[in-house]
Parts: sequence; C-alpha cells; structure tokens
Amino acid sequence: MSRARRCKIQWALTALLLWFSTTAWAQTLGQRSLYFTVEQGDKLIGGLTEKNFRLYEDGQPVPFKLAEPESPILVTLLVEYSQVSGLYLNDVEIAVRQFMEAAPDGNWYSLATFSQELQIHVDFTKMKGEILAAFGGLGQPFWGEVNTYDAVYDTLEKLDLVPGRKVLILIGSGLNTLSAHTLTDVQKKMEATNVTVFAIGAGTLLRGQYDAYLGASARMELVQAEAFLNMLAKKSGGQAFFPRFETAYQDIAKGVIATLQFQYRILYESHVRPDNKFHRLKLEAFQIIDDKRRDFSVRVREGWRWY
Amino acid sequence: MPRARLYAPRVLWRPALALMAIVGLTSPTNAQRDRTSLPPEVYKPLKEALQKPYYELFDEAPGLEFSASQIAAMRKFLEDAQKGCVGKYQRRTQELEKQLRSEQASLKANTARIDDSQRKQRHCTIQNLRALEAQARVLAEHAIPVAYENRKAKLELIEKWPEELKRIKAEIAAGTHHQRRWGDVEDIGFRELVPGQERDIKDGQEAVREMKMAGLMPPEIENEAVKKYVVSLAQRVGKYSDLRVPLNVTVLNTKEINAFALPGGFLFVQRGLLEAVENESQLAGVLAHEIAHVTGRHGHKLMKKATVASVIYQAAQVAALILTGGAATIGTYYALQYGFYGLGLVLSLDMLGVSREFELEADQLGVQYAWNAGFDPNGFIKFFDKMATQEGYVNGLSWFRTHPPFYQRMVQSKREILFLPAKGGLVENSPEFDQMKAELKKVTAKAEEEEKDRPSLLAPVQGCPAPEKIEYKSGDPIEVLCPEPGDAKSSGR
Repeated sequence: MSRARRCKIQWALTALLLWFSTTAWAQTLGQRSLYFTVEQGDKLIGGLTEKNFRLYEDGQPVPFKLAEPESPILVTLLVEYSQVSGLYLNDVEIAVRQFMEAAPDGNWYSLATFSQELQIHVDFTKMKGEILAAFGGLGQPFWGEVNTYDAVYDTLEKLDLVPGRKVLILIGSGLNTLSAHTLTDVQKKMEATNVTVFAIGAGTLLRGQYDAYLGASARMELVQAEAFLNMLAKKSGGQAFFPRFETAYQDIAKGVIATLQFQYRILYESHVRPDNKFHRLKLEAFQIIDDKRRDFSVRVREGWRWY
Repeated sequence: MPRARLYAPRVLWRPALALMAIVGLTSPTNAQRDRTSLPPEVYKPLKEALQKPYYELFDEAPGLEFSASQIAAMRKFLEDAQKGCVGKYQRRTQELEKQLRSEQASLKANTARIDDSQRKQRHCTIQNLRALEAQARVLAEHAIPVAYENRKAKLELIEKWPEELKRIKAEIAAGTHHQRRWGDVEDIGFRELVPGQERDIKDGQEAVREMKMAGLMPPEIENEAVKKYVVSLAQRVGKYSDLRVPLNVTVLNTKEINAFALPGGFLFVQRGLLEAVENESQLAGVLAHEIAHVTGRHGHKLMKKATVASVIYQAAQVAALILTGGAATIGTYYALQYGFYGLGLVLSLDMLGVSREFELEADQLGVQYAWNAGFDPNGFIKFFDKMATQEGYVNGLSWFRTHPPFYQRMVQSKREILFLPAKGGLVENSPEFDQMKAELKKVTAKAEEEEKDRPSLLAPVQGCPAPEKIEYKSGDPIEVLCPEPGDAKSSGR
C-alpha cells in the first residue's frame, strides 16, 4: 500500500472518529430536572439555598442551579383493581379517597387502574371531583390478575411522553401475577423515567391479621411485593408506605402532599451517555452553623439510565 | 344401493351450503327490496325532504303529497336500512375486536422472543386496531341510530303535521286553545304554576356548595363582556317569566353544548352552548327552557320522586359515561346528584319516570317566556334542529332514545308557538349578541390554546403512524357510511 493511500485511509478514519464523537458519543442526557426533599428526622426542611447542596454524578461533582419547582404538578393515581384486590378493596378505596381529599386544587390529576391490563379512566383534569366520580363508578373488578409490573411499566412509558413535573401515586399490594414485563424491565424503566413515585401499600392490614397462617411461599410473595414498592420509591426519590390502620391513610395522604410542597428542584447538565448503564447520583444537603457542617438526609432519585 | 343413497347427502352438503351462501350474498336485502317498491318519482322527493331541516318541513309538509302507503314503505325502508347499516358496523366492531384480541394474545405469547423494534411495531398495530374498533363501535351504537332516527322523526312530521296543523288552526278559530294547560300566556308573571319556588333556594345553594367542595365545579369564564351579556339576557328572560326567585347566572368555561338549572334559580350556561347558538333568539330560547325547569320546580319534584338508590345507580352510570369522554360529562353528573335540569340533550332521567313530562312542560313554558320577553320563539326549535342534525354524532348519545320522542318535542313547541298571540317586533338577533360572539372567540381561542397544552396519558405511542380513521364527519349524510344500492359513494372502512 502506497504512503499516499495509507494517509488517505488515516484521514478517513480520523474524520469518521470525529463524526462519531460529535454525534453518538457526544450525546448526553442534556439538562435534567431533579426533584428532591430534604429531611431531618421526620421533619421536612425548607428554605435552603444553592450553597447548601452538592451534586455528584458517577462520583464527579456537577454544577447545578436551584430552580423554582414546575407548577402545576401532574399527578397520576395508578390503582390496583382486580378480583384479588377484592380482599383489601376497602384499603384501596380509602387510600384513593383520602388522597384526593387532601390533594390541592390547581394540579392535573389522572386515574388509571389495572388488573389484567392498564386502563385509563380519567385523563389529566383539574377537576378533582372527576377522579372520585370515576372511581366510584368502577363496578366490580372483572379480572383476577394483578399485572403490576406491566401497569407500572406502561404508565411510566406514558408519563415519559408528557413534559412537566410528574408524580405517580401507586395504590396496590405490589403483588404481580402474569406480567409480560419482568422486574428488571420495570427497574430499568424507572431509572430512565423522571417520575417521583409514592407507593401506598394496600392489604397490609389484612396481612397483619393473617400473618401467622401464611405459608412460606405466600409470605415470600408478600415480601417481594413490598420490596417492589420500596424499589420504585427509592429509585425515583419518592416514598413507600405500608399502613396498618385505616386512620393512617389520611396521614399518608397529607404527608405526600406536604412532601410535594417541600420539594426542591435542581437543574443541571447531565453527562450521562446512551450506554444503557446506570449512572449514580449523590446529592448532599447541609448547613454550616458556627463553622460546623450539619448534614441533612436527602430523598432523591438514585440515578439515571438512558437507553 | 343403500350405501350410495346414504352417502349422497354427505357429498351434496358442501355444494348446497355454498349455494345457500351465494344466494344469501347476492339476493337483495330487505332494504333494497323496499326501496324498489317505491317508484323513483316518489322515493327521490321524499328522500330529499327527509334531508331538510325540521323547521323548513313545518312549512313545507302541508304541501307535500305522499300517500300513507308510500310513507309506510319509506319507514320500512329506513328501519331496514338502519338495521343493515348498524349490523354492518357491529360486524366490523366484532371483527376488529377479534383482530385486537388475537394481536394481544400473540404479543403475550411472543413477548420474550421479540426485540424492541418488533414490540414497537406490534404496539402500533394494537393502537391502530383499538382506534378503529372504538370508531366502529361509536358509529354502530350512536351515529347511525341517530341519523336514522332523525329521518324517521322527519317522516313522522311529513305524515302527521298537516293534520295536526289543521287541528291547531281549528282550535285557534274556535278560541279553545286558551283552555290548554298554561294557556293563560297574557298573565305570565302573575299566574301561579307551582307554589313554593322560594323553598328550593336552600336546596340549590346546598347543591352548589357540594359541587364546589367535591371539586366538580368547572371554571367560570373570565371575560366580563361575555358574562355581562349572558347574565343580562337571562335576567331579561327571567323578568318576563313566572320566576319568583332571584336568578343566579354562572357562565362556565367548558366546551359542552349545554345549560342547566339547579332548584332555586341557579342557572349555569356552558361555553359550548354560546359557541353553538347562531343568534340571540336561539340563546334566549334555551335560557327560557332552563328557567322553565325552575319555575316548574322540576328539580324539586325529581328529588322527591326519585329514590336515593335510583339516583346513586344513575350517578354510577353517568360516571361511566364521563369516562368515555362523551358529551355526557360533568354536567350530567350534577343532574343526578342534585336534581338539575339541563337541555335534556344527552342523558335520560327516564328511568326515574319523571323526565318526559317535565321536558315537554319546560319546552312549552320556555317558548312562552322567550316570546313574552320579545324574542322569536322559533329560535328554540331552530337550535334543537341544529343540534339534532349536526351534533347528534358529536354528542355520541342519542337523545331520541332517552327523551320524549323528538317529533313530539318539536311539534309541541311549534304548536305552542302557533297558539301564542301575534306580536310584532320579535327579536331574532342583536348587535350585542354579535359583540358577545366576537368576545367569545377570544375566550375560545385561549381555552383551545390551554387545551393544546393539556397533558395527556392518552397520547399515541411515539413513532407509530397516526391511527386510521373511518371517514365520517358530524352532519354528513348517512349514505357516506352505508351507500344505497347504485350509490357510487364508498363506504367507511
């Protein structure tokens, strides 16, 4: 091969590499909006400023800006509604009712239920009453399946297409029967979708009453169900609740609303690339008082995945 | 041979079945046979007449000369054509449903074996099938029955109106029309329809409060000019009615074509109605109809007659309708919860057994109030006509099946108009109405802009082609869907 020809090939390869690096590899998630709450014990902490935070992506410090949270919030209630949940339907009903009664006006609310598949009953509306009216008119559940993984996956996929500040209130047991999607699918989807999940476990009261009679496999399933709800909450920077008393639902609803009111928003340029890998986030919140640093706990999503 | 004789039918059953199928497919349908039973010189003008607005038919029907047998043949034809057309789209719905289930089952069976792009393609197919199935179902259950019921009502008008008109004229000539119920129109405002209107105020206030608390109250229109106009028009009609309670008017910023009244004089007018009316007399007619529900204390009577269980049962049904996104939205929900009376366009309270009589009474009194306030009472009929012809499909629910027969409502209203004493200078439109319409355009534009920004979970799957559409628009002749024999127009897919 002549020297000129070798040179041409080298130039071509360099050009190709340059093109590749300026397109695919240089692609990053771009500007991200990160919602989180700061807590000390059971107390939500407000009033912190930019200098009270440090953000790290994959261990590297990232510059950021504290921004005004977007308003209105887009809240989707995803409710388990199957023949199986008939055993703890009372929990589900109370959870929906209490949440909608505590929910402030002005936000967008939508309602979806699932058993065999996801069903959207009310698309986003600002008339909160439509949610309760629709829920009240659901009738008897028809299917016995509880395809929670599919329902969560599909809802996240739908919410991903909607711009804005999104919150998913998942009311259900966390049990899963015949979903097409696996736990890993849902986990990855959660990591890739900017939605805060608040999971309200239904059936915990019933479980408490019958715990002694449960076999090992049934107990294992319930533990898995709980773990699933916890996973969603943890991955998204939300919270999971497992109320053991009817009266707890009201406190949970008020707690979720308060959490949303105390949420901070950070805007930053993410360097996450479309490599289908999980990129961890770390957010520190602190206050310097008398030259002493006091750290707070932060409820924030664990990281991002882009695929 | 006995064996051969036994065998022969087995050999023949397949060709026999095939022959029967061919005969079934090629023989004319009932509708086709009936159409041929009418000579073209009768069929064509009768068909043309059925496509005219109701109010034109009131004038023209006495001049039309169709025999009873021709009318009967046309009715039979319409019934068969409706059955055929509904059946066609029912079958289409079933086919699409079957395809959808099979596609979903196949997706489920192969979910672990397919890659992301294949999954996306299957999702697109399912999305398209869902859209087509929903459209076919709406056509079969609502649009087609509405279109044919319209034609049958008009046929009834052609058949019966000439005789009815003669009777009305005879009554007027004899002066007996004054003896009809609420015939004392010269004493509107001084007569007592139902005592105790003021006792309904508390119920109305309570209903409004509950609606607000439950988050069921739509937002109000913020444009002062629109609000002022509607309030002053309603007050004017109210002033010339039998109203004994203060009128409390709220203009809601919702696209529903409706207005409704709560007991005690709480009147709600929705933006969609203001957009739909073409002139002041139409709007005055609708407002008068609603005010008549208040003066007749219909809401109070409804709550008295209805058992709690029946109201709850219907409320659940309405909730289901609300979810479909049809016209029976939140307004209809109020109806059942709080005994309101709307235009009666979308949902029946017939199950409660009280609606029919009240609607007819409100039609009669409404026409009287509009006339007494100086508006052309024909506006009400013209608006109803427009709603039936153009909006029946959009509303997604047939008012024919859920309310007093449409013919009866139209004829009763027209009859009342003819009984009213002649009055000069009746207003059909005003510059104020046109100004309101101009202002309303701004409100609508803003609402549409907001609607565009409204988030939705129902957005189609990204990257899929737009779902197919069955080509049929509100107000289109039904032949677009079900062409008659010899009609070159294509049908919907």
